[in-house]
Amino acid sequence: MLLAYSFLAPAFIIIGLFGLFPLAFAAYESTLRGLNKIVGSYDGLGNYVKAVDNLIYIITFWMAAALVYFAVQTFVRAVQEQRQEKTEPAQWLLPGLLTAAGAALFARFVFILLPEMLLIPSKLRGQANTQEAFRALVVETWWLPKVQIALWSAIVILAAGSVWALLINRRMPADRRERTYFMPFFSAGICLIGSAALTWFTWTEISAAYAEALEEGAGLELWSQIVTISAGFLLLLLAWRLWESASDRSANTGVALRLVGAVALMAGGWVLIAELPRVVAAGDEDWWNGLMATVFYVLGTVPIQLGLALILAALLFQKIRGQTLFRVLYFLPYVAPFVGTAAVFRIIFSNRPTAPLNSLLDLFGAEPLLWLSEPAGIIQMITGGKIDLGPILSGPSLALVAIMIYGIWTYVGFDTVIFLAGLGAIPNELYEVADIDGAGGWAQFRHVTLPLLSPTIYFLSLYAVIGTFKAFNHIFVLRQAAALGTTDTASIVIFQAFKRDTRYGYASALAILLLLIILVITLVNNRIASRRVFYG
Amino acid sequence: MANEALAGRALRPQQADPAARRAALNQVIIYTVLTVGAAAAILPFLYTVSVSLMNLTEATGGRALPSTPQWSNYTEAWRDAQFSLYFMNSVKITLISVGGAVVFCALAAYAFAQMEFPGKSFLFTLLLSTLMLPEAITWVPNFITVSWLGRISPIPWINNWPSLTIPFMASAFGIFLLRQFFQQIPRELWDSAQIDGSGHFRYLITVVLPLSSAAVMTLVLFGFVGAWNALAWPILVTTSSDWRPISYGLLVFLDEAGALLHLQMAGAIITMLPIVVLYFFTQRHFIEGIATTGLKG
Amino acid sequence: MNTKRLWMVATLLVAALVLAACPAPAAQAPAAMEEKAPAGEAMDEGPCAPAADGPLAGIDPRGQTIVWWHQHRGSREEKLAVIVEDFNANNECGIVLDAQNQGGYNDIRDKVNASTASGEQPASLIVGYQNDQAFYQLNGVLADFDTFIDDPAWGFTAEERADFFASFMEQGVHPVFDNQRLGFPPNRSMEVLYYNQTWLEELGFAGPPTTPEAFEEMACAGAAANGDGTGGYILRDDASAMASWTFALGGNVLNEDNTGYVYNGQATIDAMTLLKRMFDNGCAYFFTEGYPNPEFAARRASFTQGSSSGLPFYANDMVTIAEEQGRDMDVWGVTAIPYTTENPVQNIYGADVMITAGPPEQELAAWLFIKWFTTPEVQARWVEASNYFPTRAGTEAHLSGYVEENPQYGEALALLGYGAYEPQLISYQAVRDAAETAFNEIMQGADIQATLDALTETANELQEELMGEVE
Repeated sequence: MLLAYSFLAPAFIIIGLFGLFPLAFAAYESTLRGLNKIVGSYDGLGNYVKAVDNLIYIITFWMAAALVYFAVQTFVRAVQEQRQEKTEPAQWLLPGLLTAAGAALFARFVFILLPEMLLIPSKLRGQANTQEAFRALVVETWWLPKVQIALWSAIVILAAGSVWALLINRRMPADRRERTYFMPFFSAGICLIGSAALTWFTWTEISAAYAEALEEGAGLELWSQIVTISAGFLLLLLAWRLWESASDRSANTGVALRLVGAVALMAGGWVLIAELPRVVAAGDEDWWNGLMATVFYVLGTVPIQLGLALILAALLFQKIRGQTLFRVLYFLPYVAPFVGTAAVFRIIFSNRPTAPLNSLLDLFGAEPLLWLSEPAGIIQMITGGKIDLGPILSGPSLALVAIMIYGIWTYVGFDTVIFLAGLGAIPNELYEVADIDGAGGWAQFRHVTLPLLSPTIYFLSLYAVIGTFKAFNHIFVLRQAAALGTTDTASIVIFQAFKRDTRYGYASALAILLLLIILVITLVNNRIASRRVFYG
Repeated sequence: MANEALAGRALRPQQADPAARRAALNQVIIYTVLTVGAAAAILPFLYTVSVSLMNLTEATGGRALPSTPQWSNYTEAWRDAQFSLYFMNSVKITLISVGGAVVFCALAAYAFAQMEFPGKSFLFTLLLSTLMLPEAITWVPNFITVSWLGRISPIPWINNWPSLTIPFMASAFGIFLLRQFFQQIPRELWDSAQIDGSGHFRYLITVVLPLSSAAVMTLVLFGFVGAWNALAWPILVTTSSDWRPISYGLLVFLDEAGALLHLQMAGAIITMLPIVVLYFFTQRHFIEGIATTGLKG
Repeated sequence: MNTKRLWMVATLLVAALVLAACPAPAAQAPAAMEEKAPAGEAMDEGPCAPAADGPLAGIDPRGQTIVWWHQHRGSREEKLAVIVEDFNANNECGIVLDAQNQGGYNDIRDKVNASTASGEQPASLIVGYQNDQAFYQLNGVLADFDTFIDDPAWGFTAEERADFFASFMEQGVHPVFDNQRLGFPPNRSMEVLYYNQTWLEELGFAGPPTTPEAFEEMACAGAAANGDGTGGYILRDDASAMASWTFALGGNVLNEDNTGYVYNGQATIDAMTLLKRMFDNGCAYFFTEGYPNPEFAARRASFTQGSSSGLPFYANDMVTIAEEQGRDMDVWGVTAIPYTTENPVQNIYGADVMITAGPPEQELAAWLFIKWFTTPEVQARWVEASNYFPTRAGTEAHLSGYVEENPQYGEALALLGYGAYEPQLISYQAVRDAAETAFNEIMQGADIQATLDALTETANELQEELMGEVE
């Protein structure tokens, strides 16, 4: 166990510094207000309210509820196992919870220390900026009473909890040591504490917002929105559960359950359609448009990109002539510096009637298109633009589609190389056995290649989803004012808020919202993958 | 289409006539698909090469091919962009960061794939969540980190190799990628290694890494591409040309070249050549099956 | 990957680390030595001795090393290096200036903001636009130029002060920050119309247009001559272009007390109406694949619009393309944006230099470089090297030879007196993007009045929103 941690240590020190610290920083910043200010004035959920309006209260409320749900689930499982296997989980409860409290106190310490540390640069500004002065300030901050108190309370509680746990472990007979309930209770404790903190935070924020709304004479909207939207989501959740459980039941019950599920689905959907747009309209319009563009972008690139790469990798894996050449060719788009390739795609997708693609259209007798300068949605364009389909139904703008094509073109090579590595890791013997069994090519692919490639597919799909959600560079270089902002994805909106407007707090809040979305998708993906991914 | 083509896996000299005909047909389909794909990948690229050999009139006049190739564009781009100055910097940065990444990611990935410890899934989710923050948000906190580390460490970090390489020595991407491959290695190998008296570390180096050479090479390759093309972060943390990478040279050059599309393209192609060469020489590793490295042992 | 290869990689890695670590201590050495340099405590005499009295009394700028973060690249950077070398060799204070390119304006801005956030010392001199100054000063990063300009010992004499174009000097003064002068203008550029004289003559016109009507007629003639959608005027959707047209037609994009935006004045409406009509009639077109200069040089555009700092690039491309096409180079020039006012009104812009707050010796040394850099002789050298415009009247006397050799530069220089300025409000970066979108909406057929009304509203909301963050 210690060895495992020492294997992890170097990577986690680096990732902690350059991955987790930015996360904590963003979480902290998102509660602050101020232009070009690292330590701005405290604003609670203010930035989130600006972005998604009252929806944020619903999100935090349900996050708190979900945490309680996880905690309860752990307890229930422990009790069940106690009955079945005659283990003694109860003795682990207190040390687990205590350590969780210690961990929470440690998080509190970090968030007490962080703002104090971040204030050092502004203290430094008046005086000579030497290493000594800096170190003196760091030391001074470290020894601040409140920092020390926070630190030691965390250490004491953490130590008490873990020593207690170790003692229990010691006392247990050796053959039972495998069955500790420390981690489950620890995580349950974390969930409970997190939930309590979140609930308290949300409650104070809601009360403040409600009081403010009352003053302006628009009081009731907040509560009714929270109730209706929550109800809508609950109904959707219910529908999903019903639908899922229907497949396990006998035909008649299944049909009945599905019917109820469908009703719940429609009711939930109707409530949401009636209420959500009003909340959306009250939030930041650029942000919602950015999210919509992001969703279009993800849905339009990931499946195509992975599908093409899988086909190409599978073909390249054959014994064919010119293999090397093909592989290098497919890889070229990915390694080319995008300043160069973006310039080429700007020419290819130019709105000039004589531009390459438009010349091609001309060859087929079609009208030239505006490509990167076209803000109209493609579905709208295909249907002839006679009926106004609204922003969602009209699909991504042609400009965004052109950027998607560029994205796919760039990343297929990347995916192909990783697929090739995955294929390379499949033992040849399996194919030989399949050959002897007389399995054809498709059967081999279906029953040998796909299952054994599933870890790679899982990796790539997750990585591609995360990557496309925050795709930035090539969208930024190809976006044109003529597309009227239809190509601005969420990451572009965040970039503009952070870099152009230096609204660090607001940009961080948007980034955290984006992170939550990606996180939920990742967790859902993990759930699905845990059933499908096969490790040899 | 793919289904048919994949049948080529089973390609062997066949006795039966219809099977041979089917195999031939498969070959045709495979080559068709591959060629179409290659054409799509390469056409924009060929256009880049073509433009890089044009003169200004042709480059901006929408021509497809240069009348006489202007090889001097390349010498001009090489000279103007001071590529020779920045080239060595990029090589150093890339070697240090990719080397570190392979070591640290392999260790962590091994722990995630083959060892049991409390908090594993939590740590892994935490790891993944570091991937989910848009990059623009991370630059300011990371700048603070490298600046402060430089003030308490014996050597400065800003405008020096640590700020350019250490943040990239461990990546969630690399750990995730290697973990996926390490996980596929059969447990029996570990059991037999234990019987031979080898510990985790030796098992990782002598068995796991060789078996996952394709994945390690992938990590090296993408680490290389990332380090080679990085731009925003290097500009932020360097103040002089001592440690500026080749992509900065390209940026400066592009600015100077302004509207000179042909020179832009020549510069872009020069910068990417080293990576293409690297891929060309390493790509064999991506297709060698596990069988060749002796899984049976 | 076998063990041997792994070892090789490891060895390489270690070797690279060692190699890399070597130069670091050496780099620190000069800084350490510098600290030992005597701080002028005695009231010594001689050149560059500290002033005996006045606000800057006792501050000794001698022997300081000053870093300058700028955006000049390529040939401009090379020529700037020569000027800086001259300063380093000959300034009597022994000040050493280290001029460093840091990428573009945005990169410099990022670096200054990141340095501010981390407590890293940004360079003593930085380049940036006026609205950046406001962002920096929210953190108190900048020094007030008036401290130095008005100082009896180190500042300007009354004549020197009066020699600078007052309007350029005004741009760096910020009412929001107690009227501090946060920026100083080393050079300027302006929005100009590039025209092809030879082609205009072939089309039957005597010279460049001064009125919108004449401009439209000529652009349409050019478009008709080419007949393929090109030949006219290349539209520029940048906010600076929109402001330029508004100025030229007698309006402004700022309200009277400079606190908000007015994009729906009559002049803007007229300008957009004109451009939209030209676009609809094929007399103007968009070129979005890069800079428009090669289009202009290859006679695909009779007019383009842009910053005068593009002059050297236009000059280059005109020569190159004429050579490649084997014809005589067209005579070309730059002129004012066609105007309806009595005299032309030109949109003049350009980055300032700023002094960052630091030890007073360093601030003073930085100022002494700026003072030297903007003396007429040196400014003339810089202007010739960069093709920018001078910021003081006295420089022109040193430029006669250069103007003769570069007639286009001379044409533009003559317009320097007709300046108008774009907003310096804190939201202007964001508003620029909104203006660009509005320009495109209009060209795509949106109602001009409604779009400009909406733009004005959006712009003022953006300003309000950003100011809301400050409070």
